Amino acid sequence: MSLTRRKLLGAGAAMAGVAALGGWALWTGTAGESPLLLSARNDDAGQHYAVGYYLNGKRAFATPVAERCHAVARHPFLPVALYVGRRPARESYLIDLRDGRLLQTLHSQPDRHFYGHAVFHARGEWLYTTENDTREPGRGVLGRYRLDQASLRLTHDGEAATHGVGPHELAWMPDGESLVIGNGGIRTEGGSREEMNLDAMAPSLVIMSRHGELISKETLADAQSSIRHLDVAADGTVITGQQYHGPAYNSVPLLAIKRPGEAYQPFPVSRAQLAMMDQYTASIAIHSEQRQVAMTAPRGNRFFIWDLDSGDTLLDTPMSDCAGVGAVPGGFAVTSGQGKCRYYDSRTAEVQSQWLELPGGWWDNHLWLS
Amino acid sequence: MRALIVLVSVSLSMLLTACSNPRQEVTVQLANEVLLPAHQQWRDSNAALVDAVETYCAAPQASADDLETAFYQAQSRWSHLQPLMVGPLSEGNRSWQVQFWPDKRNMVVRQTESLLDEADPLTRAQLEKASVVVQGLTAFEYVLFDESVALADSRGRYCPLLTGIAGHQLALSESVLALWNEPGGMLAQLRDFPNERYATADEGLAAILRTQITGVDVLKKKLGTPMGRLNQGVVQPYQAEAWRSRQSIENLQASLQGAQAVWERVRSLVSDAALVKDIDQAYAAVANQLAALPAPLMVLVQEPAHRETLATLYAALDNLENRQQTELARNLNIQIGFNANDGD
Repeated sequence: MSLTRRKLLGAGAAMAGVAALGGWALWTGTAGESPLLLSARNDDAGQHYAVGYYLNGKRAFATPVAERCHAVARHPFLPVALYVGRRPARESYLIDLRDGRLLQTLHSQPDRHFYGHAVFHARGEWLYTTENDTREPGRGVLGRYRLDQASLRLTHDGEAATHGVGPHELAWMPDGESLVIGNGGIRTEGGSREEMNLDAMAPSLVIMSRHGELISKETLADAQSSIRHLDVAADGTVITGQQYHGPAYNSVPLLAIKRPGEAYQPFPVSRAQLAMMDQYTASIAIHSEQRQVAMTAPRGNRFFIWDLDSGDTLLDTPMSDCAGVGAVPGGFAVTSGQGKCRYYDSRTAEVQSQWLELPGGWWDNHLWLS
Repeated sequence: MRALIVLVSVSLSMLLTACSNPRQEVTVQLANEVLLPAHQQWRDSNAALVDAVETYCAAPQASADDLETAFYQAQSRWSHLQPLMVGPLSEGNRSWQVQFWPDKRNMVVRQTESLLDEADPLTRAQLEKASVVVQGLTAFEYVLFDESVALADSRGRYCPLLTGIAGHQLALSESVLALWNEPGGMLAQLRDFPNERYATADEGLAAILRTQITGVDVLKKKLGTPMGRLNQGVVQPYQAEAWRSRQSIENLQASLQGAQAVWERVRSLVSDAALVKDIDQAYAAVANQLAALPAPLMVLVQEPAHRETLATLYAALDNLENRQQTELARNLNIQIGFNANDGD
């Protein structure tokens, strides 16, 4: 059941009340321990950090790093995570989550730069990253790195093609052996962020084995919709978020879904909601238990939660420069580049909100909750 | 429980107001005395435009003078509002419906004429379904001022479009005002904190300043584009905003006044007297130079003798933007942008 604006405003008043009471009232975490939120963050002076904060506001660490990072890949069982350099970064940072110590600065290979996302394989030995081949600009590369679990060092081991141009986010399919990758379709060159082919983009959604074999490659109707961010539900449903590079006043789908065994297609979102996104989607998070998908639209300053199966809207609310979003028990935690972070309890149709006691602003686009 | 929570919220917000937080006071003043009135005046100018179109189109011999005046006023109110459009008008692609600029490929002319060729006479429903390119003031301006349109002799063709656009603008402005005034709407969100949109008054104030600073940046684009700054120095007179009505400079002045109205309220929060003086002078420099321009912008950019004058004006706008974006933001500890301006 979707919320009407009126009901939402009513809920908003209640949210304000809960927040004013100042408590960690709605959600207390599991086993009395608050989850750890990992993210890239800046400070007012522009210094970049790899940070870890408990959702109750307690800082675990804030480690200064040279390059701005984008997403975080948490190791499946060791207390380490790779903070991945934002494109066209040449560095990523392996951090000890117990104290924030920088264990290793991982340098990209010659003629390669990082594209901001990476994942660890479940057995803990391999890390995969999306990268750009700067000799053949835009050719998507899946970088493969081996983690020595004794010395906690990553070593480049090889690479495969992502079967597309300008890969961005990647995630494991439920088998844990195949990856889904959003090939954004945009060619960038050398150390630049400038898009070189907006009139000839070639975005694609690829599912491939981690060893490189292509399993499927699908596209959307509009070639100027760059497929960038995604998440995978426990049942293998994939949701992607697009960024549209055509005219600002056009209305094109900005979310798409690939259900198991079905074709990749637009996720049903109303034109009014699309217009609120300013052609730009950032983070996607699926809550598998609650069968919900959340998305941040930082240019439109808008945050959404939909029912994954029916497409019904659960939440459509203003949130300044909303950045990373992750599923937590009962709902979603959302960071902001400009304002306070929030927790949304979406267990019932009347979504409740709570301000988090995290520092406000300067949070980068993605977070990892564990 | 719900009633109790809401009551607690209300009493806390009253308490906060009573505590006299200067930033919250300024935010509330801006909302009540600057932002909302600017939206109201924009709405009123659209109502006057509706009346003027009706009068013009009802009388076959009527001159277009009153209609032109009403158009100038609506365009001026919209210009004034642009640095102030926090919230609903800046969302949902609404502002594209007011004005289609920049129009790099002259889409307004092609789409307006082709729409009128297909739908003769045009109905309001057809206009509502059409592209934003033909729903706003830019299409209205084309019909009213372009030399290729013989409006007086073609009222049957163009009056339904003028009536439709004016009606669309009025409906749009009334719907935006409703979103400001409704319970829990934009006005309340800039008054009672925390709320659905902002955790604190500081967040609301930051949003207002970001919008205002973006508005000053848009002024630079409106001046710089016809000067050829985006075109390797080759002037583009027909890329000036409002070149057909020759109102580019008047619109820049109206926008500057909108931006300055925010600064006038924010000034009291700035702790650095020298910075206050610098920003006051930066506004005055831009205003004085705009007032001294001797001809419409599309004419000036084509005359080499005025290049230096325009370059000096551009530099003055750039100085104003930098003072606010860096020094003012730092002084007030307000964050101007992060992911929204530089995403991935």
